Amino acid sequence: MRLSPYVPATTPLHRLHPVTKVAGFLALVVAAFLVDRPLCLLPLAAGVTALLALGRALARIRQLRLMFVLVTVVTVVIWTFFYQRGAPLHPSAAGFQFGVATAIRLDLFLAMSLLLLAVARVEELAYAFARLGVPYVVGFTLTLAFRLVPVFIDASITILEAQRCRGLEFGRGGPLVRLRRFVPVLVPVFIGALRRADHMAMALELRGFNSGRPRTTFLRARAGWRDAVAATLAFATVTTYVTLWASGAGALVLP
Amino acid sequence: MSAAVELLGFTCTYDGATRAALAGVDLAVPRGALVVVMGRSGAGKSTLARCLARIVPCFVRGVVSGDLRLGGATIADRRPGELAGAVGMVFQDFEAQLFSSDVTQELVFGLEQTGVPPGEMRARVHAALAAVGLAGFEDRDPATLSGGEKQRLAIAGLLAMRPAVMVLDEPTTDLDPQGRADVLRVLAALRAEGLTLVLIDHDPLTAADADLLVLLEDGRVAAAAPPAAVLADVAALERAGVRPPDVSRVFAGLGLPAPPLDLDAAADRLRASCGPPAVPPVLPAAPPRPPLIAVQGLRHRYAAGRDALRDVSVTIGRGEFVALVGRNGSGKTTLAKHLNGLLRPTAGRVTIAGADVATMPLEDLAQRVGYVFQDPDHQLFAPSVEEEVAFGPRNLGLDGAAVEERVTEALAAVGLGDRTADAFLLDKGARQRLAVASVLALRPEVLVLDEPTTGLDAAEQARMLGLLRRLHQAGRTIVVITHTPWVVAEYAERVLLLADGRLRYDGGIREFFGDPTLADEPAARPPDVTRLGRRLGCTPLTVDELVSWLRSPG
Repeated sequence: MRLSPYVPATTPLHRLHPVTKVAGFLALVVAAFLVDRPLCLLPLAAGVTALLALGRALARIRQLRLMFVLVTVVTVVIWTFFYQRGAPLHPSAAGFQFGVATAIRLDLFLAMSLLLLAVARVEELAYAFARLGVPYVVGFTLTLAFRLVPVFIDASITILEAQRCRGLEFGRGGPLVRLRRFVPVLVPVFIGALRRADHMAMALELRGFNSGRPRTTFLRARAGWRDAVAATLAFATVTTYVTLWASGAGALVLP
Repeated sequence: MSAAVELLGFTCTYDGATRAALAGVDLAVPRGALVVVMGRSGAGKSTLARCLARIVPCFVRGVVSGDLRLGGATIADRRPGELAGAVGMVFQDFEAQLFSSDVTQELVFGLEQTGVPPGEMRARVHAALAAVGLAGFEDRDPATLSGGEKQRLAIAGLLAMRPAVMVLDEPTTDLDPQGRADVLRVLAALRAEGLTLVLIDHDPLTAADADLLVLLEDGRVAAAAPPAAVLADVAALERAGVRPPDVSRVFAGLGLPAPPLDLDAAADRLRASCGPPAVPPVLPAAPPRPPLIAVQGLRHRYAAGRDALRDVSVTIGRGEFVALVGRNGSGKTTLAKHLNGLLRPTAGRVTIAGADVATMPLEDLAQRVGYVFQDPDHQLFAPSVEEEVAFGPRNLGLDGAAVEERVTEALAAVGLGDRTADAFLLDKGARQRLAVASVLALRPEVLVLDEPTTGLDAAEQARMLGLLRRLHQAGRTIVVITHTPWVVAEYAERVLLLADGRLRYDGGIREFFGDPTLADEPAARPPDVTRLGRRLGCTPLTVDELVSWLRSPG
């Protein structure tokens, strides 16, 4: 199984300047969180889907379809039953609408994050963060987390197997009992993560990370016409959604 | 000319430690030399490596005294970041040394940090990749590389920075024989180009080729001399917790002085002084055993679509000691994980005493087949030793008295005395034995162990293998996955060799190491004592065997 979220390709999205990728992502996130009406979110969803196709990232969404289904179902159900204040567990149409809107928004956010990770290498993210004013050390450390995720998933699978061999079963008992069963898995994962992080910090030090010496950059990113197009589109999208929000047209119409 | 690296009265004590990790070490590493450092766990090997790169005391806290010089100039006041590029250090955990999304980015990382002009980077990347045999890998994702390739990539990442000295702390411990051979070949080539290398390693045969062999014992230099002298001294090696070379042990056993490092020369000497070996007409062989585990037509395909096992059929007898060998990716672990239902067959079936593993409840399986994973840290989680061991029996729903009985029994079997000890503070060997105890507490008939001796020093290895032998003699069926030929030769009764998902060999140990059709399999390369015996016309599996054959009047 390939766990790295990056899709090695040279699509127009891949060729954008790292700063454009990150700024475009932020613009779309802002747009998604400004409006509540499902109808207003649909064009955005269509746009993100088109971008996913363009960046060849649809397969990543397909791999994680279960997560999207779960997020959607759980969000809709929870809001439907808990939206009405003072009357919990009474399903309401308003709650349902809000739930649908929130679910679309969360799914969009997840999809946009996957899109960003599919078209931008972690080095590009670090570079973009630096160009956007985030200190290099902070930006780089953030991107390291992405690299570690697949390693920890691997370790978790092994640990889960090891504990199953000692008779650990997750399927039985009440919720608290089940939760407690995760301790034998979480402790080794956590300790392994700490040890790995310690080694990694040493390895970074050995290669001069944070040594106070002047840095150079291998990555040569130049903005081109594609970036101009992308920036214009992103700007137009944000402006549209700000207008929808300001005019109240993006608000939920509650019965 | 000044030495590449020099330690003068160097002492290092970690913060909070009662004992110095290095005590008054004097050592000079000549320019362009290969120095191999050996010693038991805790002797100070890693501390030495970390001090050379100033990781200790700048990163891991400790107090150091004495002087440390690089090319004649003291570095006792430098930060690791300032030395980055001058001293490269590689360690065992290869995953932790890679942080980039492709190979090129990995190599330029250190160059960026140390301000190398971008125009120079491509050339350095190509040169470093060529030096480690990874030319053409520029655009690969490091996550897709094998362990050996990852470790060579980590070496290249440091090489690109053009260090004067490279320190390697057990770089091959977690690699399979092929990966290890590749890394050692790279090191030999770097040495030929004049790079100074300090290598920490467990294998005396690697040390045989060094310019200088350093034995560390309790933080002190017990010996620092050309390898031939150190490797001949069986007593000194054993005192230092290092497994002596087979040839040295044979010579010591026969009371012969000055063992040569070369097998042909050793054979000549033995021929001259002992005469032909007296091989008994009937060699000890494993008794026949009633069948316990039956694997029939087993095929396994992972989600990725590759067949990891294709049509494997084998029967394992009750009370057998089986070694499961083969290259990485040959299907060893996949087969082992079918024995206790961790994996389900794509086709075929596995039965234990006639019952199908696929339909057996987890509880029953856990009591039938115990599985000890390679890394004990993948299963230890409890605050104390006894809690850890009690976890399995409690999962079975046993009452307090029964759990207690099992904990006592399992801890006695593995020789762990302090029940309230913190498992995370135990050394690696003890943690490995604790992992075995925690599985033994389920009283399984079969014990499967995945590379139980990896990363242990000679004394700990002997302890672990002694434990397995005792369990075997008490009637347990043992299946061990291993890459180490002498473990197979000395302990197993039968060997299963997997190649490319198929069973390539199934039979006795002596026949296995003598089979000329298996010459392309690293696992079938006999231990030195067997190769020495061959030159004398016999096939011994252990040093004791060869010594007794040579001693008896022939």
